[in-house]
Amino acid sequence: MECKSEWEPRIIGFLCKWCSYAGADLAGSGRKKYPANVRILKVPCSGRVDPLLILKGLRLGFDGVLVSGCHPGDCHYQTGNYRARRRIALTKKFLEYIGIPEERFKASWVSASEGAKFAQVVANVVKDIEEIGPNKLFAEDGQ
Amino acid sequence: MEQELRKEARKLLEEGKVDYIVGFAGGSLKFTATPLITKEKEEVASLVVNPFIVNNLAKFLTEVPGRIGIVAKGCDSRSVVSLIQDNQVIRENVVIIGVPCSGLIDIAKVEKLVNRDRDEIDDITLQGEKVAVIIGGRKTELPTKEVLFEHCLGCESPTPQEYDILVGKPTNAIGDKELSRRRIKQLEDMVPEQRWAFWKEQLGRCIRCYACRQVCPACFCERCFVEESQPQWISSVSQWQDNLMFQVIRNIHVAGRCTDCGECERVCPQNIPLRSLSKKMSEFVDEMFHYQAGLNKDAPALMTAYEQVEAEDLIM
Amino acid sequence: MATKKISKKEIAKLLGIWNQQLSVFVPSKEENVAKMVRWDGIDVSFLDWYRNTVIPCKANFLPSMERMFSFKKNEDGYHTEIPQDKQKQLIFGIRPCDARGIATMDKVFTETYEDFYYVSKRKNTLLIGLSCTNPYDSCFCTSLGLEPTEAADVDLMFTDIGDEFLIEEITDKGEELLVATSLVKQATKADDAKAKMLKATVSAMVRKKVDIKEIAKKLQACFSDKDYWEKVAAKCISCGVCTFLCPTCFCFDICDELVKKQGARYRGWDSCSFRLYTKMPMENPREEKWRRVRQRVCHKYEFYPMNFDVTACTGCGRCIRLCPVNWDISQILSSLPTSAISRSEK
Repeated sequence: MECKSEWEPRIIGFLCKWCSYAGADLAGSGRKKYPANVRILKVPCSGRVDPLLILKGLRLGFDGVLVSGCHPGDCHYQTGNYRARRRIALTKKFLEYIGIPEERFKASWVSASEGAKFAQVVANVVKDIEEIGPNKLFAEDGQ
Repeated sequence: MEQELRKEARKLLEEGKVDYIVGFAGGSLKFTATPLITKEKEEVASLVVNPFIVNNLAKFLTEVPGRIGIVAKGCDSRSVVSLIQDNQVIRENVVIIGVPCSGLIDIAKVEKLVNRDRDEIDDITLQGEKVAVIIGGRKTELPTKEVLFEHCLGCESPTPQEYDILVGKPTNAIGDKELSRRRIKQLEDMVPEQRWAFWKEQLGRCIRCYACRQVCPACFCERCFVEESQPQWISSVSQWQDNLMFQVIRNIHVAGRCTDCGECERVCPQNIPLRSLSKKMSEFVDEMFHYQAGLNKDAPALMTAYEQVEAEDLIM
Repeated sequence: MATKKISKKEIAKLLGIWNQQLSVFVPSKEENVAKMVRWDGIDVSFLDWYRNTVIPCKANFLPSMERMFSFKKNEDGYHTEIPQDKQKQLIFGIRPCDARGIATMDKVFTETYEDFYYVSKRKNTLLIGLSCTNPYDSCFCTSLGLEPTEAADVDLMFTDIGDEFLIEEITDKGEELLVATSLVKQATKADDAKAKMLKATVSAMVRKKVDIKEIAKKLQACFSDKDYWEKVAAKCISCGVCTFLCPTCFCFDICDELVKKQGARYRGWDSCSFRLYTKMPMENPREEKWRRVRQRVCHKYEFYPMNFDVTACTGCGRCIRLCPVNWDISQILSSLPTSAISRSEK
């Protein structure tokens, strides 16, 4: 009997150092159960996230991209997440207009004390992506 | 209008108010204009105003040194203001010579409708609601709305809103909002897979000449993301995946600074419908943040401003 | 060699015969952009509208992007795979200017050095020239010693003489192409005379004239005139349209794409108009736009002729037609300063 290898979503997450990354840490130390499909990259602030990073993630073949930062008003650098919010909004809308399903790019606000929320966010993102399948957007025909 | 323009431009040079005049002169091909960048007062006699002055001269503000007297149509003057908002141009260093414009003729549209190339056409005259095209002595009349650029049909500022000198009388656009976003509407009516297939096919033809980027006044980065090699974001050679990424990123990067001058689409040697990307982006900007590029030189640029609460529906 | 002819109605059949052994390329329009594409086996309507393509035929030999080789790392080391391009091609409808462009590029890619990728395509390709009937107002091939109706650089030359095409056999390979078919007939003296008259008419239609006699000397004389070149370069926006669409431009960039343990090396078009074209770690010799513009003009009309005895321009006029700002090389060449300038460029 052949052992069928199930596809597991591979998601890249840009988490801001001060809030979301700490929140993810808290989820870990609190032993919260959540899918292990997100590869986390720490950025100093969600405002550092250029749409280039998001697109590059999708281009490289990641099935989804998550950007998470401090709640508006709580940014360690005061206004970084406000910038991020505008960029995220435009990027999301534009990607959808190009034809990239909106499930592939998600954004959230997760504070350092919201370990449970982070676990929930990841679970939701992974579930949505499992439903739409692997990212074959940039694949050559036949791959 | 031309005489008045030449007089004003000459005066600016003679009085030493500007170092350079940047305007339009007649081109070397039929129905073509070309940028004129000069510090010689005799040369301003070549300045023209006609339905073919397509170039967005604001591009030259970030490279021509000194104080500049720039001839600006409505869309161009918005680009100038956008550059001022971005601190790329100092308002006091620019004398904006506003030129009201109710729309420019897209020669490619004329060529398609009369089934001739531009050098086979004798004359094209804009006559209000109609455009008279003369070929071999015979006249054909075309409705103006069918030969104006699409971005002209959607023009919101036919009379420049920011200027120092206004040449000619304020005017209205020969507009047709629906017609101006015909292709965008077609894309909006598609399902996402169809849209992706559309852009994949279109950008498969891109040869990465960067004409779209180079004509755009909003693209003034010293070093574009395409030119980075550590890390390399996209390939330097033409592959549809990277061509598509280039357009998507470029449009997001210039969001809030694009004034729909239509140059990117006009100059593309492969006729890729780039305005269907840039115009849609500026529509998103307006919808979500109630902002239009280049209307208020004292307003903060789109990406440097924020409201306490906005766009939260897009965050999980 | 005696000339032959074929009725226009039989062209599709002739192409069909060739299509059985070779990949036939013909002019076609995509989004209203004319280019050479694989013939679909049926459509010859291009005969009604074809003047010239936007992308020149150099793209069939030096594509805008080509994979040089792919590589993969296994347990026993690196394995490379070079694409084998043995496809025999035939390009139908190449204009004399584009054919001359390929002959000009041959000097670099086949004579000085044999470029594996270029040569493998070149020696497997037959060029079927088509005389112009309707030159653009931006054409100036006659100023460069070319005729819109003569082609020494093709295998067969077709000239429209009304209901038929006159066919001149230029090379042996071209002659072979016509052997197996009864569609091609002997041309009469009347046909030859008609062709001669039509050729003269078309030649006269090329109205733009540029005097390129002594151009190399003039360029040499004004080389150091920074003010002049700054004025010339003022409206250029440093895109790559003129270089990419030029039949004789061939600069390329090589880059590697790598994902984990496998990837490929690609070659693609590059342009001396780009600001970073000459950037090196320590400096960029052509940082300023006027230097790049000067380089482009001098390369085409002074340096290339100096090295290869041929001007790197065929007067096709694409750069004039498609330049976003209507920067016109013919205007520049016609207005070079004639007296030597002693101003230093510093």
